[in-house]
Amino acid sequence: MSDTAVVIENLTKVFNRGVGHKLFTAVKDVSFSVKAGEVYGLIGPNGSGKSTTMKVLLGLLAPTHGKTSIFGMDSQLVESRRAVGFLPENPYFYKHLTGMETVLFFGKLCGMSGKKLHDQAKELLKLTGMEGAADRRLGGYSKGMLQRIGLAQALVHEPQLLVLDEPTAGVDPAGSRRIRDLILDCKARGITVLVTSHLLEQLQEVCDRIGIMSQGQMVSEGPIEDLISVENQTEFVLENATPELLQQIRDLVASKPGSGTLLSMGHPHTTLERMFLKVTEEDERLEATRTKT
Amino acid sequence: MSSSYKSFSPSRIWALTMSTVTQLLRMRILVFLLVISVVVVGASFAFPTFNAAQQLKMLKDVCFGLEQLFAYVIAMVATALLLPKDVEDRTLYTILAKPVPRLDYLLGKLFGVLIVIGGGLVLLDIMLSGVLWIKQGYVLEDTLAGLHMQLGGTPPPEAIAAATADVEKQGLTWALHVGVLAIFLKASVLVSLTLLISCIATSTLFSVITSFCFFIMGHGETLFREYFFKGGTAWWQYLAAAVLAIFCPDLSLFDVVDAVTEGRAVLLTDALHMTGIGLLYTGGYMVVAYLLFVEKEL
Ligand SMILES: Nc1ncnc2c1ncn2[C@@H]1O[C@H](COP(=O)(O)OP(=O)(O)O)[C@@H](O)[C@H]1O
Ligand SMILES: [Mg+2]
Repeated sequence: MSDTAVVIENLTKVFNRGVGHKLFTAVKDVSFSVKAGEVYGLIGPNGSGKSTTMKVLLGLLAPTHGKTSIFGMDSQLVESRRAVGFLPENPYFYKHLTGMETVLFFGKLCGMSGKKLHDQAKELLKLTGMEGAADRRLGGYSKGMLQRIGLAQALVHEPQLLVLDEPTAGVDPAGSRRIRDLILDCKARGITVLVTSHLLEQLQEVCDRIGIMSQGQMVSEGPIEDLISVENQTEFVLENATPELLQQIRDLVASKPGSGTLLSMGHPHTTLERMFLKVTEEDERLEATRTKT
Repeated sequence: MSSSYKSFSPSRIWALTMSTVTQLLRMRILVFLLVISVVVVGASFAFPTFNAAQQLKMLKDVCFGLEQLFAYVIAMVATALLLPKDVEDRTLYTILAKPVPRLDYLLGKLFGVLIVIGGGLVLLDIMLSGVLWIKQGYVLEDTLAGLHMQLGGTPPPEAIAAATADVEKQGLTWALHVGVLAIFLKASVLVSLTLLISCIATSTLFSVITSFCFFIMGHGETLFREYFFKGGTAWWQYLAAAVLAIFCPDLSLFDVVDAVTEGRAVLLTDALHMTGIGLLYTGGYMVVAYLLFVEKEL
């Protein structure tokens, strides 16, 4: 097994949008690779070509130029899909199937069967926190639940690579937090993860490396600290600071011109998310009991 | 790795087939079948003023008409809905992102539709056979009673035998089942053709209409050939006829239904010949459908 999970080499994808339309280049000469065991984030605004790149990687689209491979095996080979689990953008599975049946169906497609498949499905539903809703039809699932069942089906054949397209889009903060925890879980089990998002902050705590795409091109790539840290700035967060202390700090900084400038002071932006998570924690537990009925 | 990849796996095709069957059953196909069944039973009480043979023939005509309607509508309309539905639901992405060859996916669709059509036809065939059998008994009794009245005494054995043979010829025969087989074969050609079309079509409506055009052309093909070639035997006429036959299936090859409802016998060799042609067309269209689907951008 090669130690590079994903290789994308000079990938270009041109769409022919039908007669009377110009050819459209959705992805232009993009190259990057993902090492086995790391979490790689692909970030960029809507329409920047992230999903197109994923689809070529999974053999759903043929590249116009360039090559993609998974663990050294060309993406165009059906067999390369054995090592990868995919969660597409806005997944909708068969609405008439229950959560359990969905995972079983995709397991069967991967050549699994019998007790082994059942046990695996149960375990994945537990891992993704979907046990309570396992016997309900997908038609009644919320967006976050669909993403989690999508994650369970992606993991059913124990792939070494997980490809997630916008797993947190349209999901509330608690659900999104959960999905990020699941990504870290997978990483801990040694699974390589390639994840896309149009929101940087959603990925920054889970990714080892990120690539930023814009208009079909890779504009920046590297380890996350290199890309987001601002070298000449320092941030510190205080708890229960009195107004007097804050005033003293301000005075201190003002009294030492040349050794630093105070740019801003205020409540950290993340407090709102933390507050949301705290108050909804209770709801989550209620939801779990509610879905069991 | 827990799963080892096989390029051919009957269990994978079966999983896809069953998911297609479920999808189709959710299109309320059972209701359609139920309505047809009610009409079949109703038809067995109708036409009381006709003579014995006519009554049986009418019953067969109505039932075979409905069986064909059932089989061909599903073969063209339901099949045309399958692929676009999976694209819209994005289940196609999730399925093909698994180690599933695209051929398996197409075969799952084909077999799923065929199981539903075949199952429906078997049910209707069993029902028609039962209804016909019972009706045949009543009609024979009536005819003999009529003879008795007419002659004012017991009719001679030759007259009874003749009347019985007449009714039996219009009653339940093996040829009826061959007629159902012919419907199934024609439907299977239509399913593969519709799958092929929906691999390139951009809308469901387009698939249905195109498929329906082929259906019409397929029935007129013999006429067309006779008109243009006038039975000529020049090599180019053979070639043109062959090209035409490949491009558009000659559906009149499966038209034994009229013969069957008229009570004529169908030879076993004819049935085998028809099955061979049906399989050939279905196989051929599936190969083309696969070649188109494998190149399809999703
Ligand atoms: N099948 C297609 N045919 C034509 N254009 C497409 C197709 N798929 C995507 N595109 C176009 O390619 C561009 C990139 O799309 P996408 O890869 O989905 O972006 P992202 O996932 O980054 O939001 C978009 O402008 C989109 O309209
Ligand atoms: Mg996208």
